[in-house]
Amino acid sequence: MSDTIHVLTVDDSASMRALLRAALTSRGYMVTQAEDGVAALEWLSGSGDEVDVIVTDINMPRMDGFGLIEALRGQVRFRDCPILVLSTESSDDKKARARSAGATGWIVKPFDADKLDSALRRVTH
Amino acid sequence: MFVTTDMQDGRSVRRVTVMQGQVYVGSGESEMLTTVLGSCIACCLYDPTAQVGGMNHFLLAEPNPGSGTIADQNYGIYLMELLINQMMTRGGVKSRMKAHIYGGANMHTGMARIGDANALFARNFLQDEAIPLVRHDTGGDSARRIEFDPVLGRTRCRIIEAAAAPVAKPVVRPKQVGGGDVELF
Repeated sequence: MSDTIHVLTVDDSASMRALLRAALTSRGYMVTQAEDGVAALEWLSGSGDEVDVIVTDINMPRMDGFGLIEALRGQVRFRDCPILVLSTESSDDKKARARSAGATGWIVKPFDADKLDSALRRVTH
Repeated sequence: MFVTTDMQDGRSVRRVTVMQGQVYVGSGESEMLTTVLGSCIACCLYDPTAQVGGMNHFLLAEPNPGSGTIADQNYGIYLMELLINQMMTRGGVKSRMKAHIYGGANMHTGMARIGDANALFARNFLQDEAIPLVRHDTGGDSARRIEFDPVLGRTRCRIIEAAAAPVAKPVVRPKQVGGGDVELF
């Protein structure tokens, strides 16, 4: 088994995806990116076993982050996969909703790449 | 954010001043969003179907790669996303959004052309996000006053005396408090 951590990032912003890809690949992660919850589920249905952790935005078209988390937690194979929310939102009710849906944690944008790195290593070990 | 209320055409209008580093999305009530720009950029987004509009006001485009700087409220890369997300929470749909950008003046000769860099960033960002840029007034060496009606999507951009332009608040480190706060459940 490879020591490289494989992260799936889900964010509708192309600019944010570029920022995340640069931050994570420079820290040694393997990165796959999807533009919303629907695209993430499509990719995960074929290659989900390769993913160690998922980082998802909340506000996205087609399927938002809450919908994605609920859909994944409804599948046995993703029941234990860490899912971190990365969002500009920081309200307690949104966090409570994510927690209730099965999220592992919440990171507020703008993200600090070192803190994100630390959180990813913590939830995958 | 400064909010004043005055009468316009016999009706009460809230005037919201969007300062550097801020984002404001219309409440749906009668409002006028205003700002004054030098080298900063203001992006106004509008969803004509939902009749939702908002404005941001950013100082710089994005941090230099590898600098370790967090893309916080000083940077367009963060404030653009914040604006889009706040529009979405008010019923805006990204694929329907249209954009106006203003500002990006190069106010001081002999200095780095920050205004040009800011305007280029805004154009590239909108192109990457597939948001049509329907109106823009950027560059030059003059300050601008912007007014934006977030319900009707109408903007007014006027050139004003340079002395009226706000002095861009410098980015002082460390000021990036709270960026990337992590909470594990």
